Amino acid sequence: MLIKIGDWLDERFSWREVWAAIFERKVPHVNWFYTLGSATLFVAINQAVTGILLTLYYVPTPDHAYDSVVYITTQLPFGWLIRGLHHWGASAMVILTVLHLLRVFYFGAYKYPREATWISGVILLLVVIGFGFTGYLLPWDQKSFWATTVGTQIAGLAPFVGDWILRIARGGRDISAVTLARFFGTHIWVLPATLAALVGIHLYLVIRIGITAVPKKDE
Amino acid sequence: MDNSEDKQLSRRNFMKVAIASIGGVIGAVLGLPAIPYIMGPALQKESDDWIQLGSISKVELDIPTLFKKTIETQTGWIDTEEEILVYVLTSNGQDYIVMSNVCTHLACRVRWIPEKDSFFCPCHNGVFAKDGAVVAGPPPRPLDRFESKVEDGVIFIKRG
Ligand code: HEM
Ligand code: FES
Repeated sequence: MLIKIGDWLDERFSWREVWAAIFERKVPHVNWFYTLGSATLFVAINQAVTGILLTLYYVPTPDHAYDSVVYITTQLPFGWLIRGLHHWGASAMVILTVLHLLRVFYFGAYKYPREATWISGVILLLVVIGFGFTGYLLPWDQKSFWATTVGTQIAGLAPFVGDWILRIARGGRDISAVTLARFFGTHIWVLPATLAALVGIHLYLVIRIGITAVPKKDE
Repeated sequence: MDNSEDKQLSRRNFMKVAIASIGGVIGAVLGLPAIPYIMGPALQKESDDWIQLGSISKVELDIPTLFKKTIETQTGWIDTEEEILVYVLTSNGQDYIVMSNVCTHLACRVRWIPEKDSFFCPCHNGVFAKDGAVVAGPPPRPLDRFESKVEDGVIFIKRG
């Protein structure tokens, strides 16, 4: 039955070809460091799923944000788990992305013809950091408030354009309801959309070009 | 996996099974808690405390008497104060019935009009008798009643 449905779909979508191109492609004999990209992708999916679940209850306004987060962690069944996964996943995401970058760097895998993969990767790293920065404000506790105060203040130190950047980031002179709303919007719409597009490009290139072999001593 | 015929489990098939089962476990650990997490608030039992309305001394025989009470409820992370209005009626000074002032048609608030000896609903001209029975208009059923008890001259109703 399932095979029949699979055949029917395959006749119209040729999905088996796509499956084969992704999962049955030839790869050189590599080592565990080459799994770091997939590990990052796995955590990214975890972040997406748990993040979507959090938005079912989280409310991005100064009078509700903190209470809704406390409600999630203390009142809801498994709320602590969902929030915990998202919280620790955020740190894992940054660490894994950086380790993956280092693997690519030390194995010289950024060279021709993989420059575009590298560049899409650099933007991905910025997006991952953006997630961390905007997400940190959302619980709206003392720690988030002051971290964002300091973080945006640092941006404000940039020569000439600093004050302008600071005002755009905060949506005004001070950290306010406006800041919280735009950090939330960035965290759940702007960055995920960018991440999805870039991961698409990144993985297309990885599959299209094929991954590098482990460099030899004399290379 | 059917490896009943060729006893040898190939490395490839072993990996397939291993990946599928580990993946399944991870998927379950991540996915299953999502169900109670989503349904939590819907399944939460509402507290069934008795709410104290006040002294029954002001309730005269056969006249629905209005009681006002502010009750605190918690919805999600928000504490709300809600004012409920109920009518208390007794025909013998022993048994009390407590009726909600919410119209059973579309939830407007009904009022006791002593001159007419009835409850009137301003929205679609629903009319109820003093015991809550429908007399005229669109309401489909009598006024809702609260479970109640009287202790030491004080009347209580059950929440919910
Ligand atoms: C959200 C973050 C990222 C995800 C999900 C991701 C995912 C992946 C995956 C699954 C691969 C396949 C090979 C492997 O796993 O090593 C890969 C390869 C690659 N990535 Fe990333 N990556 C990310 C960030 C980055 C960053 C920050 C860089 C560098 C700036 C980068 C540069 C590359 C390059 C050049 C390759 C090709 C390596 C080769 O052919 O051996 N990626 N990426
Ligand atoms: S709501 Fe009372 S009559 Fe319609």
